[in-house]
Amino acid sequence: MKNHLLERSVVLTFITFPLFISSCINLKTVGDYSAISIESIRNFEEIDYSFLQHCLDRCTDEAIQTFEIKRAQDCSCELYQEADSVTQVFYNSIEGYFQGLGNLSQNELTQYSSNALIGTLTADELGPVKIEERTASAFSSLSNTLLRASTDFYRRKKIVEYIEQANEPIQILLEKFELIISNNLKKELRFKRERLYAYYTDMKMNRTLTSDYEKGKATADYYQALEAIQRKEMELDVFGKSLAEIAKGHQVLYENRNKLSVKNLQELLQGYSSNVKGLISEFNKLND
Amino acid sequence: MANLTSDQAQQLSDNFFDLSVAITDFRIANWEKLSLEENKELGETRYKLLKSGEDILALATTLIMDEVADSLGKINTITADIKGTIKTLRTIQKGLDVAATLVALGIAIIAKDPQRIGKSIKSVFDAWTAPSV
Repeated sequence: MKNHLLERSVVLTFITFPLFISSCINLKTVGDYSAISIESIRNFEEIDYSFLQHCLDRCTDEAIQTFEIKRAQDCSCELYQEADSVTQVFYNSIEGYFQGLGNLSQNELTQYSSNALIGTLTADELGPVKIEERTASAFSSLSNTLLRASTDFYRRKKIVEYIEQANEPIQILLEKFELIISNNLKKELRFKRERLYAYYTDMKMNRTLTSDYEKGKATADYYQALEAIQRKEMELDVFGKSLAEIAKGHQVLYENRNKLSVKNLQELLQGYSSNVKGLISEFNKLND
Repeated sequence: MANLTSDQAQQLSDNFFDLSVAITDFRIANWEKLSLEENKELGETRYKLLKSGEDILALATTLIMDEVADSLGKINTITADIKGTIKTLRTIQKGLDVAATLVALGIAIIAKDPQRIGKSIKSVFDAWTAPSV
């Protein structure tokens, strides 16, 4: 009887195994895409520039220009702090969504352990009821596989629902977040660049500098400062591009939401994921 | 009067920037022709334009918030919902653990063993009150 039960459970396990594997593949695709998106979005925290920083830099530039020495810097930066708060809200909401999507698609989430049940069924202290450990394990394995298959099916259904509901708002949020970073914040740097240019050209036109050494030093300082600004601009650009790629990837997920088990979804998303990976590496190089 | 949109604010900021660049270029091109006073005034105007352009750009960023309030609300609701689903899936493990203790309790009751019944009830309680991982 026990052997017969064992055989049946093994057969059932084999029948349900492909279902389990197929759900693994598509969930993995969503999981991989979410993971790379989170990694890229979190680079926001590595950006060494903000609206507030821009405002403080401007105060310093003005003080240098007017040779103003005060005990403490006196800057009015409330508007810039507000702009940073808005940016932070975007970051938190987008990161939170991808974090949730990533967690939900992780297979570890539905890897349940039935060790407690096996322990109970095979314990010596159960008295007259005796079940062989091998049989208890087979039942446990079968119930785990069935449980996993049903919960994975549930997860897939929920993920499809979330992708469907989230696509429109997440597209808007990613687009606006990109706009804030690669347009607004980057354009603040354009003003910084222009202020720098004005400062050094005034110095040149006023013939403030007399010796060749001073002229050479001022020119070197100017280009060094300019390079630092341009590097920051590139960094913001790269981050913005990665947000655009993440948005495209989500659109692909949305368009194929009802075919999440199709293998080519993995191939479709692969392109966006590797583009994001490339941009992460470019960002890291610029940020070094 | 209609409220300023973030797009309009960005456009204004661009205009201030372009004007400032034009003044700088004009000043450099006419340096020798301008009186000291004119030169100083143009220099100050240029900085004021730069400053206004920067401030308007920061303002444009804050204006975006009002334009995406609906999308932000939706995404935050979905994220909360996802967290709820994750919690449900994690509770299944707790259910399995509680089931195991209930099996032991059932067997203890059938065996009419008061000592084991007491021990099993405690195990059920412990499994039930244990936090979900």
